[in-house]
Amino acid sequence: MGQTAAYIESGTLELYVLGLLSPKEQVEVERMSNEFPRIKQEIREIELAMEQFAAANAINPGTALEDKIFAAINAADMTSPKPEVKVAQLNPPVSVGKIRTLQFSLAACIALLLVSTAGLYSAHARLDDAESRIAQLSVQRDKFAANASFMEHKNVELHQIADMVANPSWSVVKLAGTAATPTSKMMVYWNRAEKVVLVDNTKMTLPTNDTAHQYQLWALVDGKPVDLGVFDMKTDQESILVKMKEIPMAQAFAVTLEKRGGSISPTMSSMMVIGNVAI
Amino acid sequence: MALTKKISLSEEELVRALKAQETIAIQALYDMYSGALLGVISRIILQPEVAEDLLQETFIKIWNSAESYDNTKGRLFTWMMNVARNLSIDKLRSKDFKNSNKNQDIENNVDFIDAQKKVTFNADLLGLREMVVALKPEFTTVLDLVYFKGYTHMEAAEELELPLGTVKTRIRMAIMELRKYFN
Repeated sequence: MGQTAAYIESGTLELYVLGLLSPKEQVEVERMSNEFPRIKQEIREIELAMEQFAAANAINPGTALEDKIFAAINAADMTSPKPEVKVAQLNPPVSVGKIRTLQFSLAACIALLLVSTAGLYSAHARLDDAESRIAQLSVQRDKFAANASFMEHKNVELHQIADMVANPSWSVVKLAGTAATPTSKMMVYWNRAEKVVLVDNTKMTLPTNDTAHQYQLWALVDGKPVDLGVFDMKTDQESILVKMKEIPMAQAFAVTLEKRGGSISPTMSSMMVIGNVAI
Repeated sequence: MALTKKISLSEEELVRALKAQETIAIQALYDMYSGALLGVISRIILQPEVAEDLLQETFIKIWNSAESYDNTKGRLFTWMMNVARNLSIDKLRSKDFKNSNKNQDIENNVDFIDAQKKVTFNADLLGLREMVVALKPEFTTVLDLVYFKGYTHMEAAEELELPLGTVKTRIRMAIMELRKYFN
């Protein structure tokens, strides 16, 4: 307590109230004041005394000064306006009209999506249809083309046959069935000058041969058989005419059924057709 | 002026309103303390027009630096009084004021004395005048230097050729006299 009293007696507190202390000394007084209530009380009493002293010495300013001072304060306020606080709205209110617009937009979007899907599905189906029709037409076209080619080929051969009949160098030999196969028959075209021998598939009526056997054409030259090659009896021959081995001269032609590939000498028991060359 | 209704608020309310920059605070402060503050200023600056300019400056500064006032460190009036005193002392010590004052000292000595008288013998101060007279001269001189003339206690010690401790004690004694008087 003695220390506090000495501090009070020093006159430092009066200087503090009069604002005559350095910042460092002020901090010290404030520390003491907070620590010792007696010092705080002393400061308070000095302050009150100075306040009363000032009040007792008051000089009322003129009324004009009051207006001047408030005008100055207002002007100072105007030049340094306080920053206005702007409150950002986190959830701005959405109007009913806007909601309705959005709802309408959503409905329109869904409708458009449905129409588009239907359109796409329809287009896809039609595309599939078109593709299958194109494939179908393509097959038909190939078929017609093949057919046309076949007909053309046939036409060439038919012209050839017609020419052969009209041409005196060609001999048309009709081969008739033997006792074993009386219904069998076929035709052979032979060009004596060019030695060419052709068989006509369209004029051929023979029992269909199996895979183990083939028909063999023979030329009878001075009573001896000469091999002219083998052929099959088929209903779907690609060509009308089948070219056989060449022979310069013959008196007759005959066909026997032999093992596949043919034989060196004909099996007389299996002779199917035979025909003489007209002189 | 007499017809104007004076605003008076409690110190707590005043401080709150002042810090919140409510215009009513500065209005109340003016009504309650403009006279006392002008009294303080006028003791330091004897020219009434300059003193009134300083009163205006004082209120603007009070308004603008309200946030720097800390009520745990002292009363609001003490803070305001020191704002007024510091502005006045700064003015007193400024070059241009010293020059004009010097001229006044030489040329308008009478006015200067009158101004001083006007303050000292203000009708409101009759009681104080008696009190000040009642103070021992050595106390009056020291208080006059630091409180009215803007001297620091160091400057006062130099001026009076006294030890610093003595100056401090005399200031304390003078204020003790005032405390006795007002209680």
